Amino acid sequence: MDPSFRIVPASAPKSASVAETSNSLGLHDTLRYGPRTIATEIKTEGGLKDRLHSWEETQDNMKLTMLRNTQGLHAPMRMLMERKLVSANPHMPILPQTNLQLDILMGRDEAVETSDVFLGPLNGPPLDIRHDMEKKHRI
Amino acid sequence: MDHIDMNRLKQGEINLGTSIMAVQFEGGVVIGADSRTTSGSYIANRVTDKLTFLHDRIYCCRSGSAADTQAIADIGHYSLQMQTQVIGAAPTVLTAAAIMEKMCYQNKDQLSAGIIVAGWDKKNGPSVYNIPLGGGLFRQPWAIGGSGSTYVYGYCDATYQEGWGKDETVNFVKNTLALAMSRDGSSGGCIRMCVITEDGVERMFIPGDQLPRFWEGKEILSDVTKKPLAAIAAVMDVAPMAVEV
Repeated sequence: MDPSFRIVPASAPKSASVAETSNSLGLHDTLRYGPRTIATEIKTEGGLKDRLHSWEETQDNMKLTMLRNTQGLHAPMRMLMERKLVSANPHMPILPQTNLQLDILMGRDEAVETSDVFLGPLNGPPLDIRHDMEKKHRI
Repeated sequence: MDHIDMNRLKQGEINLGTSIMAVQFEGGVVIGADSRTTSGSYIANRVTDKLTFLHDRIYCCRSGSAADTQAIADIGHYSLQMQTQVIGAAPTVLTAAAIMEKMCYQNKDQLSAGIIVAGWDKKNGPSVYNIPLGGGLFRQPWAIGGSGSTYVYGYCDATYQEGWGKDETVNFVKNTLALAMSRDGSSGGCIRMCVITEDGVERMFIPGDQLPRFWEGKEILSDVTKKPLAAIAAVMDVAPMAVEV
């Protein structure tokens, strides 16, 4: 949680980053993602894209910060701990993943969002289970 | 409308160029506002209600960008609701004002909002808090805000007295707002007022044709056209000094 009362996401200029294509050594993984290109690394200002992408997170963060200021650090801490407990999923990352408890805590258990209606899972069945498990446990 | 910092308002944004006011008296507060919302020179809403409910005995007056102030007021209303549930009692006006001030200050680069928070609470009685454009928090016995307020600072300074009761305070607010509305292009319409006391909130409405009227000038054009006739008549009455026969 970032202690900030920002109502809307700030449009921060992003720099280049290798993080998404990095292997375990922190370098660009050519075997998996192809040769390194500057075009993919320079993150130009998303503008609307970044704003929409971080919208929910910013609103949530603002509410947690408000809780912290009015009730004390314990209040957002408890909420975040509850969310973390509920997100702990011991299973392998298989396709249909629904977390009703997390939805209830986040207040979207009775909401039907576009992601529920359109466009199923982004990636197909997991091709590299080991990689996915490594990512999940952050090895 | 040029004195509003147009750099803050984005092109064509709806603007609450406004006159708002809150005055504390023995036992409560009186808040008031005009009712005009403009978008450029178009009056988008001529019967706006700028007195927004935050809690049972806490209201806020909004001036500046309509969207920004509505967003802040919504967040304030939500936060106070949640806090009431947790602590089990009504929040103080200072709490409400501090919440609004935090929102205004921490987002000051993106917002254009001048807010006055006023109300009554059990701990401190009546209070008025002014949160001008930069996001500072100032407690005052009376506060005016909005574009129309610049025209009535003198009147308020000269007229305000401590120790007034409810009726004198209502009159003070009514007269001040009427004067501001008559001089400011972005204020007008009707006057909406709320009287907040321990017992409740009383809403008052003064339609545009019943506003108090002050000096409005005389019809001087007709005097100017009359003058030559009177002058000619005066000349006719004077006896000539010499007559050529």
